[in-house]
Formats: sequence, C-alpha cells, structure tokens
Amino acid sequence: MTTTGSHVFTDAQLAAFLAGTLEDEALLDAIEAAINADPALAERTMALAAGEDHTAHAVRDAFAPVLSAPVPEHLTQIVAAPERAEVVDLAAARSARNLPKPANDTAGGWRWPQFGAMAASLLLGVMIGGPLLTGGTVGGGKGGALVLAAVEGPVTPPAVAAMLDTAPSGQSVDLASLGTGEVVLTFRNADGALCRQFMVEAGRGTSDALACAGADGGWQLEAFGRRAASAGEMKLAGGDAAISVVAAVDDMIASDALIGAAEAAQLKRK
Amino acid sequence: MTRPMNTDDTTRQALIALIPRLRRFARVLTGTIADADDVVQASLEKAMLNLDQWQPGTRLDSWLFRIARNTWVDDRRRAHNSKGHDDIGEMIDLAGDDGVAVVEASNEVQMVRAAVDRLPADQRDVVALVMLEEFSYREAADALGLPIGTVMSRLSRAKAALAKLLTAQGGIQ
Repeated sequence: MTTTGSHVFTDAQLAAFLAGTLEDEALLDAIEAAINADPALAERTMALAAGEDHTAHAVRDAFAPVLSAPVPEHLTQIVAAPERAEVVDLAAARSARNLPKPANDTAGGWRWPQFGAMAASLLLGVMIGGPLLTGGTVGGGKGGALVLAAVEGPVTPPAVAAMLDTAPSGQSVDLASLGTGEVVLTFRNADGALCRQFMVEAGRGTSDALACAGADGGWQLEAFGRRAASAGEMKLAGGDAAISVVAAVDDMIASDALIGAAEAAQLKRK
Repeated sequence: MTRPMNTDDTTRQALIALIPRLRRFARVLTGTIADADDVVQASLEKAMLNLDQWQPGTRLDSWLFRIARNTWVDDRRRAHNSKGHDDIGEMIDLAGDDGVAVVEASNEVQMVRAAVDRLPADQRDVVALVMLEEFSYREAADALGLPIGTVMSRLSRAKAALAKLLTAQGGIQ
C-alpha cells in the first residue's frame, strides 16, 4: 500500500479513521503516519470530523460522578493560599489602636507576647471565610480560614465561647456555621489562668488556637495558626497543631493537662 | 480592607476550580479514585511548586493535565503500578456523598466505565482529553506531547474498542 501524500486516502477512509470504524489495522497505521508527516492531511482529516458521537456522550455520563463528587479537602488545601487574612486584619486593628505587635511566625500563625495590656480590648472573634468585620472581603479567602478579628465589642461567637466554657477535651462540638470545634488541651498558665487549646475544622481548613480565661470572664486569644494540611483521621492531642499554637502552649503551660473530672471542676471555677 | 487579587491568587482559584476535572482525568488514567487522588495530589503539589512555569495566556488545564499524566506515567514506571480497575462501587459511594442516592440503575454507566478502564493506557489519555474534556485533536496533541495523527489513531482504536465492548457485552457486568 502506498501512503505518500494526502491524495491516496479517500474522505470516506479518513472519516472512518476518525470514527473508529476502520477495520484495516495497516490502513489505520498508514493514515496515522501520513497525518503525522503532513499538516495538510491533518487539516483535511480534521475537517471531516463528525460531531459528537454516542460513545463520547456515554463516556461523559459514565464519569460524571467524579466531576460532581465533593473534592477531598486535602486536595484543595494544596492550592489554597496560606491564609494571611487574619494577620492582615489584626495588624490593621492593632495599628489603629496603637497596640503592640504579636510575634508572627512563618507558618502563617501568630501569638501574642505574654499578657500585654492590649489583650484586654481584643476579644476573640471567629469567622469562617466570609467578610471581615470591617466589611471587606477576604482576598483569596476561599480557604475557609478561621479568621480572627479584633473588634470593639464582645463578638465572641457564642458557640466557641460555650465550647471553651464547658466542653471537655477531646469532644467534638458542633459550632454550627463555623464548623466543628474540639478542645484538645486544658491547663493553667503561670498566672493561674485557665487556658485551652482548641481547633476548629471548617469545610476547607483546620485552625488551631489557644485561649486563656480573662479577668472579665471571657476568653482571650493567645495564639492562632492554620494547619498546613487537614486533620487526619488520627488525632493526637494537638500533636499536629499549628506551630505557633504549639509553641505558645509550650511556653505557657504551667500545670499538668487537665482532663476528666479535674478538668470539669476547673472549668466551673475558671 | 479588600485585598486586590494578584495573579497568583487568580491562578490558585483557577487551579482549585480545575480539581474536579483533574480528578476525572486522573480517574480515567489510573482506574481507581484512590490512585487518581494520589495523582491529583502530586500534580497539584508540582503545579504549585512550578507555578511560575505556567505561561499566562496558555491553557492552565492543559498544563495541569500534562503534569498529571507525567506524574502517573512516572508513578507506573517507579512502582510497576498496575492495579486493577475495580472501583465501580467506590465511585457510587463517591457520587452519593452529597446525600443524594445516585441510582446507577442502568448498568450502562458501569459498563461504559469498565470498558474505558479496559483500554490500553495510551488510549485512556486520549479518551480523557478528547471525549471527556472535549479537547480538539490539536489541543490533546499539545497537552500529551504527541503528533496529531497519533492522537487521532489512538482515539480511533479506543472508539472501536469501546463500541465492541459495549455492543458485545450486552447485559454482562
């Protein structure tokens, strides 16, 4: 069989080649080679392409479930921008009020220097994703970040405050629209204040935070950080928590971890 | 307080939007959702590391699919990886995640997947891009780094094989 030049193939052969109805394997190979060698033949062949065929349609239907399946969070997390919105906003809030700066770490978290006076007016506000309290939107905030905002009034989400007030360590708490929370560690710091490390798993990200009971009975945030990856099935107590939070706990912890009845008792007289 | 979106953010969002399609592509390549997600994960990590190598103005999806395909090819070479294609039940579970029971009443859907899974690897690449992604022959050729005639012939063979499997199978599987 000769395969030189595009003229040796008929339109019918080329159309059959495209349609998958060419039975002659040698002819199929010959057409492939000729098209690869001859852009004009490639053009001619493409012009013969029929529209959508039944097979393509069936194949698309068959794999449609993958397209509509929820994307596992750990995959989205790879691409999500390291969430800095909370740092940006806190910085703005601080500068507006002349507050000292917390030490930022490179992991996208932060922690306050020990008990600065600024903590008093800085209440824990937790928002997931959504607009910040200033009304702006979080640039690139699709990561569903745990966003902490400094505000004038007490806006501690009741669900988070309630969890910190009463939930025992290790118990998952439904935080409604905020996601799922869990206190992972309870202890007293050197000043005797009750502190609780907790995490919040939102739809697309897990954040860790450390809050200590303030004199006003509320909870003040001491450290915050986002996890690089989502929490796995197996959770050690804060073992894979954000570095900034782990470091803050290490610095501040001045008692054994409080668990069980002891924890419940301490919570009552926080 | 609104931060202007920079190019990087835009690209990240585009990548996130592509993940479902990337999963489908990888699923066709690998035959199982578990392997597909491994490939997707590795591909996204590579894409993030090499984001500067993607040229704005060119197709991000092609670039990503190419990374995924190379990742899978490398994987197979390294691990002599040829796991079976047996995740049909798994796929149904997946589809049911939203709480809506996905009734795969017609086992046509399952049959088609099984037929695609039985194709040789080099045909599955082309099927994934041309049939599922609706790439043109030229776009598929560019994404796969193949001559266009080869893309056409692989698709031709795939179509023939699928037609044969689907008609021959009738009620089987």
